[in-house]
Amino acid sequence: MEIIVNLDVMMAKRKISAGELAEKIGITPANLSILKNNKAKAIRFSTLMALCHELKCQPGDILEFRDDSETE
Amino acid sequence: MDWNKDKSVMFSRVCIIVFAMLLAAADIGAYWLVSWFMGVSHTLGGLRDGYLLMATVYSCSIFAWILLVNLWKLLANIRRGMPFETSSVKYLRISSWCCAGVCAICLLGTLYYTPLILVSIVSGFMALIVRIIKNVFEQAIAMKTELDYTV
Repeated sequence: MEIIVNLDVMMAKRKISAGELAEKIGITPANLSILKNNKAKAIRFSTLMALCHELKCQPGDILEFRDDSETE
Repeated sequence: MDWNKDKSVMFSRVCIIVFAMLLAAADIGAYWLVSWFMGVSHTLGGLRDGYLLMATVYSCSIFAWILLVNLWKLLANIRRGMPFETSSVKYLRISSWCCAGVCAICLLGTLYYTPLILVSIVSGFMALIVRIIKNVFEQAIAMKTELDYTV
């Protein structure tokens, strides 16, 4: 049971690089990498809002809930 | 006097050095220390009590050295600005067990010298305090990790 961050998918759809996105939403590339690689423990509403604004999408497009027990 | 955290850490390091020197002196002069103590004590007497007291001093000294080394390493972490590392928890855990070890030895020592119960109680309390600080550090490290990975 986990939350998957599909940021790379949205970034590919919008044709935006990690460095460019990090600069636009005002976080460090290192932090964006943590988020993109599903290493993050939590995400601030302000960061999510900025991501949705820049990528022109909904939070659901970036975050996905995956229940392992249902797939077994 | 302009007191800051660097000076406080430096003071702690000086204290550890002073304690290490005292401990080294006690280790070297344990024979004379025990002889003097047997002279002033009314309850201790005989060669057996002397040997037992020497054994107690030296076995407690081992724990004291381990404790001082671990406190030194913990201070090094603080000096590097990284006190909330998993290694700090390890140092505190070892320190706590050292206090518990002294507590156990002194408890055994009460069999031949009852006043050692006081040292045993004090080191037992010390072990408990250090253990609780260790638990606090563990919690703080978990919180810091979560904060570090909050984007």
